[in-house]
Amino acid sequence: MTTAIEVRLPGELLSQAQEFIRGGWVGDLDALLTESLRRYLDSHGPALDEAFLREDVAWGLHGAD
Amino acid sequence: MEPTDAAIRVVVCDAGPLIHLDELDAVDLLADFPRVLVPTIVGGEVERHRPGLLARAPASMTIVAATTNLSGELAAVTRLFALHRGETEALRIALETKADLLLTDDTAARLAAGALSLRVHGTLGLLLRAVRRGLRTADETATLLESLPDRSTLHVGRALLAEVVAQLDRLR
Repeated sequence: MTTAIEVRLPGELLSQAQEFIRGGWVGDLDALLTESLRRYLDSHGPALDEAFLREDVAWGLHGAD
Repeated sequence: MEPTDAAIRVVVCDAGPLIHLDELDAVDLLADFPRVLVPTIVGGEVERHRPGLLARAPASMTIVAATTNLSGELAAVTRLFALHRGETEALRIALETKADLLLTDDTAARLAAGALSLRVHGTLGLLLRAVRRGLRTADETATLLESLPDRSTLHVGRALLAEVVAQLDRLR
């Protein structure tokens, strides 16, 4: 299932996206935005954030330097 | 794995920890490091968010510009993790200076630093390290952490925050 949404993009970012599409690197803006969002969520997930924060806690309280 | 021998001498700092420490009136904690390098572009970014921050920062902090070209490896990692210019410059300077530590609160920048074999920590680590280093008491830091959701744009889940405060309670 897909849902249509309306987004406001900075003009320069949209131009870069359109150039990317014209170059044949991705099918269309829908595909580009979907892939961009998927990658962003992959690299900013709460589990990953918490893992990094736990590393900070371990270093902060029990590190050697 | 954390090194266990050498002291931290050179630190490169991204915008997040500077802004978050300043929000918590704790930017003085950076004075515990002999050299703190801040990329020029990051300096501009933090001044926009927290005017006067650089003037409040410890004397050991220096604004620096990268001196070498972006390596192929760094360019690839930067693209892969969709890093902003400030984060990219922080990584670049950390590599150039062989920094002992990169400070950032950005998840993607932390992933990128790991890919480049750089040691990396963030604001929460600095706040807790201050207790271990005798710069703050466990009481002071627990109070600070309890006020974090109201005082700072640093996001730490409530459950984890409570867990950390409980660990500090055991140190009181």
